[in-house]
Amino acid sequence: MTLLAEQLLNGLQYGVTLFLLAAGLTLVFGIMGLINLAHGSLYMVGAFVAARTQAGSGSFLMAVGAGMAVAAFVGMLMEVTILRRLYFRDHLDQVLATFGLILFFNEAMAMLFGRQPMMAAIPDFLSGSVTFIPGVPYPIYRLAIIAVGAAVAAILYGLIVHTRIGMLVRAGATHRDMVRALGVRIGVLYTLVFGLGALLAGLAGAMVGPLLSVQVGMGDRILISTFVVIVIGGLGSIRGALAGAMLVGMVDTLARAYLPALLKLVMAASDADGFGAGLSSMASMMLMAVVLIIRPRGLFPGHG
Amino acid sequence: MVEAIRRRLVIASTALLMLALPLVADRLAMPDLVALGTQVAIYAVAAVGLDLLIGYTGLSSFGHAGFFGLGGYVVGILAFHAADGSLFLGVVPGATAAWIAWPAAILISALAALAIGALSLRTSGVSFIMITLAFAQMLFYLFVSIKTYGGDDGLGFRRRNALPWINPRDDVAFYYVCLAVLALVLAACHRLVRSRFGIVLLGIKQNERRMAAIGLDGGRYKLAVFTLAGAIAGLAGALQANLLRFVSPDMLHWTMSGDFMVMVVLGGVGTLVGPVFGAAAMVLLQSWLTQWTEHWMIVMGPVLVAVILLTRRGIWGALAGRR
Amino acid sequence: MTALLRASGLTKRYGGLLACNDFALAVMPGSLHALIGPNGAGKSTAIGLLAGEIAADAGDITFDGNDITQVAIPARVKRGLTRSFQITSVLPQFTALENVAIVAQIRAGHSFCFWRDARDDRRLTDPARAMLDRVGLGPRAAILAADLAHGEQRQLELAMALMTGARMLLLDEPMAGLGQSESQDMTALLAALKGRVTILLVEHDMDAVAALADRVSVMVSGRVIAEGSFADMQSDPAVREAYLGEAG
Repeated sequence: MTLLAEQLLNGLQYGVTLFLLAAGLTLVFGIMGLINLAHGSLYMVGAFVAARTQAGSGSFLMAVGAGMAVAAFVGMLMEVTILRRLYFRDHLDQVLATFGLILFFNEAMAMLFGRQPMMAAIPDFLSGSVTFIPGVPYPIYRLAIIAVGAAVAAILYGLIVHTRIGMLVRAGATHRDMVRALGVRIGVLYTLVFGLGALLAGLAGAMVGPLLSVQVGMGDRILISTFVVIVIGGLGSIRGALAGAMLVGMVDTLARAYLPALLKLVMAASDADGFGAGLSSMASMMLMAVVLIIRPRGLFPGHG
Repeated sequence: MVEAIRRRLVIASTALLMLALPLVADRLAMPDLVALGTQVAIYAVAAVGLDLLIGYTGLSSFGHAGFFGLGGYVVGILAFHAADGSLFLGVVPGATAAWIAWPAAILISALAALAIGALSLRTSGVSFIMITLAFAQMLFYLFVSIKTYGGDDGLGFRRRNALPWINPRDDVAFYYVCLAVLALVLAACHRLVRSRFGIVLLGIKQNERRMAAIGLDGGRYKLAVFTLAGAIAGLAGALQANLLRFVSPDMLHWTMSGDFMVMVVLGGVGTLVGPVFGAAAMVLLQSWLTQWTEHWMIVMGPVLVAVILLTRRGIWGALAGRR
Repeated sequence: MTALLRASGLTKRYGGLLACNDFALAVMPGSLHALIGPNGAGKSTAIGLLAGEIAADAGDITFDGNDITQVAIPARVKRGLTRSFQITSVLPQFTALENVAIVAQIRAGHSFCFWRDARDDRRLTDPARAMLDRVGLGPRAAILAADLAHGEQRQLELAMALMTGARMLLLDEPMAGLGQSESQDMTALLAALKGRVTILLVEHDMDAVAALADRVSVMVSGRVIAEGSFADMQSDPAVREAYLGEAG
């Protein structure tokens, strides 16, 4: 029972990370109509920059700030130089060009930081555990991630309900005419929206550094999970991204925690560990398949 | 008229070059060329199948490597069980004969494509791209997790599948087998896209809503072509397993799916022969860049971006002066 | 005589907007029935509901005496109910002939034929050519649909709808975007069809409606508020108010 409570919190924490990525990806798709595979690369850039900054300066807050700033800068640079040329292209071209960007970023990180995984330290002021559910001590650091994710969700909600950017998201798809009617300079607005998405990806990357190993290719794996989140939640919907992220976070974490043990009841222990790990990686995709059968357009189709 | 002649000339000279490749390799004392040529032919088979989806039906599948790898694993797993005389799932015996292993690879990949297609085709556009990617990744995790068949490390086997009259150790003979398969697949697809079935696919690509309004239930045709493309990828995967006598989860990796899409677009979408040139360009570029630097992807990535941004017709368009 | 197409109580809500509100209509066989109304009245939604593209929240549709409310679009087409589109939607990369031949192909049955070249199959091209002649596009058969003039594309659109073997056409603004002489050609074409095919015509061009319609229904805010001859509608106070209200 205590283990279950802990795993549920872990699921929440993973869900929050996924939400930070899915929100940016779906925001960019909703407003600019762009599918950006290199979104996971921005997460990786944030993680590497933060880990290196922390190792150099010893300051965790500075590291997170640096990770976010560099990711946002790289993201906006990418938008200005390359991606804005893709807004009017079909999705196939967008996929392939941003696929090329992934290859570039993976190799660039390998050349800059090496192929050895890096580990970042949990900062002193967030180390240790608290016991707020009796009998379940829980790491403060993970709680902090959950809190940050909740704060970001609240800020995004405010942004979408109360601002012009939000109006665009709620209006849905690429409404260039409407943007013009609002008298906004589209080029600048798009770059800023893209920067916001990159900032969130960088934040997610910087925060997971102390929990996961920071390494080349970390962005690809989470990108695919983010896609699963978006398909489950409904394309272009922030609310859907939140719901999908929580579902995938929970299902993935619980499967990892319990599937191998369950499989040991029916197969040899050595096979069960490997197969259980594989099955748990597949669990969120099976969830996606079920959602597709019931609601082909996701849980929250449309906008908002 | 001039264009038609030019197209035929390009195709004829390419075919001639590919037929003569082993001789050329011999003359130049570059035996590696045969292996490269075999790789081109195999990737081309898969890419031509993908072109049926992307170029003729408007379905941007990002999961083609899933079926490619699955076909490869069917060959690998059958060889594995044949080697130690054990049974797959306690029922199916192993096999080393091509006439069993290759059709089995095609069939299993087709069945997987049927199931994945039935789910994925409930969506369209960007969601379809994401979903096909996710399902292929699911197959990837499956093979990573099965330790019996090597997990992460993959599965090797000693000998190529037996074909009548052909020495399995002869690399040149195997090259010609792959070339023949490519020719057959190209010819069959060429017929297919001009048949009633192909016309319907082209209609769906142009305006699916319109096709429904004139009485077409497009879903069945999309699922049929998705299954067919999966079967072709499975065949290519079976050849790939034979080329290397080794299968690993890398065959199903999502970057492989991306590579197949690049081959189609680079070569020329909706042209069938274009993807052959796309496959050749990818294989040659990679092999050239890897000789040059270990960090070849730092060049490959930007090259891809530039190709997408700057070119519109693909290699085949440039060669054949199409439109 | 009973109606060929009958709709009753059709309702469709988009969020807070009631696009169709208890929409009712009966179209007699062989008639040309016009559905008119100010912009935003819900005419296109009504066509979408009747054609089966949009699922109704409530209400029934019967065609030739059978309930088709839950019937999918392709099956409605097979029963003889076909729509055209407000925004021209021909298949741009096909020639005019191929656009019509593909309809003949679909009408002929399933297309799971993988080998024989379909493009010079006389069983498909002969009837397609005849249909192009019928709508006046015979000489343009070999031209890519994308390269046809706008008026010709609208004619092609009509040819495709007819080629399905439709007993009834739902025409969504066939004159949209046409110049005066093109509109007159289209009007003549529809006049020639009249009586042989039942037509529900959504149209803003009042000259065409006056010339063609046997009966006119006026739609305002998602429901039919008046029905009768064109002359009746011109003098109907409710109709006048709806149109003048829109203008003012």
